[in-house]
Amino acid sequence: MRKIAVYGKGGIGKSTTTQNTVAALAEMGKKVMVVGCDPKADSTRLLLGGLAQKTVLDTLREEGEDVELDDVLKPGFLGTLCTESGGPEPGVGCAGRGIITSINLLEQLGAYAPTQELDYTFYDVLGDVVCGGFAMPIREGKAQEIYIVCSGEMMAMYAANNICKGIVKFAEAGGVRLGGLICNSRNTDREDELIIELARKLGTQMIHFVPRHNDVQRAEINKKTCIEWNPECSQADQYRALARKIDANKMLVIPTPIAIEELEALLMEFGLAA
Amino acid sequence: MIKTMDAKKREPWVSTANPCHQCRPLGAMVAFQGVEGCVPFLHGSQGCATYMRRYLISHFREPVDIASSSVSEKEAVLGGGPSLRKGLRNVTEKYGAKVVGLATTCLTETTGEDLGMLVHEWDKEVLEHPLEAGNPEIVKVACPSYDGTHMDGFHGATRALVEHFAEATAPHGGMTLFPNFVSPADLRHLREMITAFGMGATLVPDYSERLDGPALAEMPTMAEGGTAMEAMRALPGSRMAVEFGRTIPEKLSANAVLKDKWNVPVRTLGLPIGIRESDAFFAVLEEASGRETPAEWQLERGRLIDACVDAHKYLAGRTAVVFGDEDMVVGLVAFLTEIGVKTTLVASGGKSGRLASEIERVTRSFLEEPPRVLSDADFRDVEDCVESQQADFFIGHAKGYKISRRRDVPLVRVGFPLHDRFGGQRMLHVGWRGALNLLDTIVNAILEKRQDDSPVGYSYL
Repeated sequence: MRKIAVYGKGGIGKSTTTQNTVAALAEMGKKVMVVGCDPKADSTRLLLGGLAQKTVLDTLREEGEDVELDDVLKPGFLGTLCTESGGPEPGVGCAGRGIITSINLLEQLGAYAPTQELDYTFYDVLGDVVCGGFAMPIREGKAQEIYIVCSGEMMAMYAANNICKGIVKFAEAGGVRLGGLICNSRNTDREDELIIELARKLGTQMIHFVPRHNDVQRAEINKKTCIEWNPECSQADQYRALARKIDANKMLVIPTPIAIEELEALLMEFGLAA
Repeated sequence: MIKTMDAKKREPWVSTANPCHQCRPLGAMVAFQGVEGCVPFLHGSQGCATYMRRYLISHFREPVDIASSSVSEKEAVLGGGPSLRKGLRNVTEKYGAKVVGLATTCLTETTGEDLGMLVHEWDKEVLEHPLEAGNPEIVKVACPSYDGTHMDGFHGATRALVEHFAEATAPHGGMTLFPNFVSPADLRHLREMITAFGMGATLVPDYSERLDGPALAEMPTMAEGGTAMEAMRALPGSRMAVEFGRTIPEKLSANAVLKDKWNVPVRTLGLPIGIRESDAFFAVLEEASGRETPAEWQLERGRLIDACVDAHKYLAGRTAVVFGDEDMVVGLVAFLTEIGVKTTLVASGGKSGRLASEIERVTRSFLEEPPRVLSDADFRDVEDCVESQQADFFIGHAKGYKISRRRDVPLVRVGFPLHDRFGGQRMLHVGWRGALNLLDTIVNAILEKRQDDSPVGYSYL
């Protein structure tokens, strides 16, 4: 089983990209589990056809430790398995600890057991690696590969670089590696060249350039991934391509984060300061 | 000017082995014991409450109740509000709490529990569904134990009490005293001093009865004693407020509230330990009351001076290492200096930044060489320094026993905690009478050591 975590700046499209890619992997015949690690619990909406699911922590809150795996792990599009760790209501408690509690509970309940016959587990993690809890998916060898979703916008690149710093810390102890940057295009100038160069500086690759397309929004309004909503649309092919590249990816590295000055220089070089 | 040393910066090791202080909420729990009808309450795990009760019981040898919101993993993740409200309901209904002294702990501070918001939610709940026993007053104080010491917790709780209760009151001529963390015997003695000048006294806090009470046929659900709510409401009508503790930071000072918000005349003094520091308090009492120190008290001072003269042949030129709470060690060093004992090292777990200047204040013009001062200290620092420092005795709380044993230097036990001796709650430190008690204890420790070390075993010393 390959264990993959997806990180990136808030609002960059991690959940959308993850679910669309997972749908493509499922279409290829892979058995995939998605673990949403965001207190908002919106990481599996497209695969499940809505926010119908009770989160691991909701279940824990209401039923105590007496939780069955079926209570929290729901089947989604093409046999994918979906679970959401959930978290406290906004402004109270400790969401980071919530992720730890919930992943531990999933392990105890056998979500990762060989009998599940999973080919892939995807962790979709909220925003940045803000504290120990949000690093949980990459601690102790839980996820072995990380993909960072970014775009040609400065702050998205800044976040990607920052996440790389987190990966370096855990790479030595836990063996986690960076698989590449996924550019989720915002139609900024020379975006592909810029991200290819950023990837090079970080010691990794831009694994795929996902162009911007309104079909993603249309599918999302219908609570579906592109592949389910319209298998013929061009955007569905983009996610299929990304899924194939991830499936074949052998370039797993410890990244080399860069200094903020270097990042700024990069933006200047690609003419974004004009 | 004495140079202070931040212990942890000095040495390459970073962990804490045996700190010279206790944890922050523990001090708050002691202060809240000194309020009538109050249940001290920790917003945190049950272990914190159990540990602190155990710790306080073996010093004070009284039943000590501390409630807890029983935060476990679920509450840590989802927020502790519901379990806090349940706990507050329980202590009001079962103990009849009139006041709840609420302190956070490291766990709830780290998860970012907003005590103000939680109490606000509780207020809304009990406004709609009042409790049968009446809604308690909730006095709250933040106590992250990784920041500061038990003394910060103690002063923070004391200040919170004043902030919560004080209200506009007609002048009543009474005197307010913020006595610092002293023994129940000290509290009783301090009250005796103020009343000897014909003034009423409000001590905040006053745990002299709750933590050192009489034997009872039946244990009441709420121990008797403590400063009454009414008395705390009337604090702004005091003729004067005195706070012991020159190392108390402004933001933790209860005196500062009375001065800034209520325009009460205030005095800040060192703990009245030894001759000069006690004299300073008596001078304030004379000033506030307009009376002279009564004759029987002057006699007490005279007896102290006489005893110091008598003890001179045993004490002259002796050296000591002093450790404990910052204000306590300042008082002790002041007294040691007065009786001819040279303090070589002063260590405290506190880090107010004022210890060195306070030590200088009380030793200046007496000692040729000022003592070395260690702030934010661990006993490991103390032991490292003792290597090179001469000490005929140690004076401080019982956590110093291990180094005393290893170094074969007698330990004169004072302050808190005293877990390996009996009567810590009745130990008198303050005033001329307290100084006399300290003097006897110190001289006898030296005599005992001399006698024990002697191959002859003289019985006439």
